[in-house]
Amino acid sequence: MSPSHIARILTVLFVCALTSACATRPPAGDVNAVAAYQEANDPLEPFNRAMFKTDQALDSVIVRPVVKGYRAVLPEGGRRSVGHFLRNLRSPITFVHDVLQAEPERAGTTFARFAVNTFIGVLGLFDVATDLGLPYHSEDFGQTLAVWGVGSGPYVYVPIFGPSTLRDGTGYGVDAFFVDPLAWYSRGNGAETWIQWAVFGGLVINIKDETMYATDELKASSIDYYASLRSAYRQIRASEVRNGAPPPMEEFDDFSSLSDLPSNAGKAALELPQTTLTSEQ
Amino acid sequence: MISRRHLMLASAAAALAPRMSFAQAGADAGAFVTDFAQKGIVDILAAKIAGAEKQQSFRTMFATYFDLPAIGRFVLGRYTRTIKPEDLASFTPLFEDVIVYTWSRRFSEYNGQSLKVGASTPDGDDGAIVKSTIVGNAGENYAVDWRLRKRPDGWRIVDVIVAGVSMAITYRQEYTTLITQQGGFAGLVAQLQKQVSDLKAQAPA
Repeated sequence: MSPSHIARILTVLFVCALTSACATRPPAGDVNAVAAYQEANDPLEPFNRAMFKTDQALDSVIVRPVVKGYRAVLPEGGRRSVGHFLRNLRSPITFVHDVLQAEPERAGTTFARFAVNTFIGVLGLFDVATDLGLPYHSEDFGQTLAVWGVGSGPYVYVPIFGPSTLRDGTGYGVDAFFVDPLAWYSRGNGAETWIQWAVFGGLVINIKDETMYATDELKASSIDYYASLRSAYRQIRASEVRNGAPPPMEEFDDFSSLSDLPSNAGKAALELPQTTLTSEQ
Repeated sequence: MISRRHLMLASAAAALAPRMSFAQAGADAGAFVTDFAQKGIVDILAAKIAGAEKQQSFRTMFATYFDLPAIGRFVLGRYTRTIKPEDLASFTPLFEDVIVYTWSRRFSEYNGQSLKVGASTPDGDDGAIVKSTIVGNAGENYAVDWRLRKRPDGWRIVDVIVAGVSMAITYRQEYTTLITQQGGFAGLVAQLQKQVSDLKAQAPA
């Protein structure tokens, strides 16, 4: 199997999703429900929820036990080095997208980080660059598309891969197949794709290890974990696209003090502009 | 959303008075967050008191430093304008319980972390965003942004944004999904009541 197989599997999944289950659009008269439907931007919700269930099952049977073993054999410092190593391997992808997003300064940072961490930080095992004032950031084709004005598109949940969107999933495929130097290297060496697969497997375990506490917390504090994870994923992506700047103002105008609320609540709903709940990219 | 009245007031204020220097207001906002974090660490997280007592102190502190009714209205989003006032009144204390019980579950894990408050930036006409970092003892850092609003009697926190994820937006999108898919506002209230009683059962003694 190679990344092109992944692309094929994803296509099949997506076609299945389109033909099997689509969320029913609320009636046009129900303004609140229509706004919620648009904000969630999850027309494949029934299918995605089924995929999410599969993912949660795989998580408890495979991913979690592997992470437990990983934690048992490698102390925290070692696991951090694995994370640094994998991040460093992704640097060329980030660099390409820094350039495509016309961010010369960030491109310079990425380049310098890669050089410093590869040569001084022992092939990327140590993040020396951060201590030298070159902070880490990550870019990918999904973010570049967002900067170019492409909306996120519908939400997609793929087992093991986790939450994504049409834009970000496509971007991931393009990066894995065309941008990642590892892919070129693999193809140049007689389709030795195991390297890319090993890195992918390492990433899955590394990301799970790093995010398990946060996602467990989110799960414990929510009633509908699927919905809160969808929200968190979209916010994290939007934040990455904004390069870490806080969410824009219009989302927050409803933090008005009580005296600002109109007394005739029902009438006010009719005057409410559509901007309040528009989803960001 | 900015109401017409807001816009008129804002433009009138802009025409009549020079804008309050933000350096001043920003420093205030940062000091407010520092104050909250210090009290939280000394009086609750690091305090040698029983879990139930910590929970009670947190409830009081949360009510003082956060604008809970405003957060509740934001979380209900558009539904704030369409549900009955008595329903809104019953939601707010329930939502407070959800936050108090969720947060206090983790108080016992406190292990010497501190909050480093950074720069503040203006956020609209009457708000500020305060950047901060939670500094762990193993060199692990988490970025936390605090969204504040100026009220007649001082600053109030309206949102906490951890690593790009806003608490208020996440609750709003989850609750909106529940309202539309699981029996409307009454369904949400029933689920919240169940969640609160579940969380109470695992509350620290």
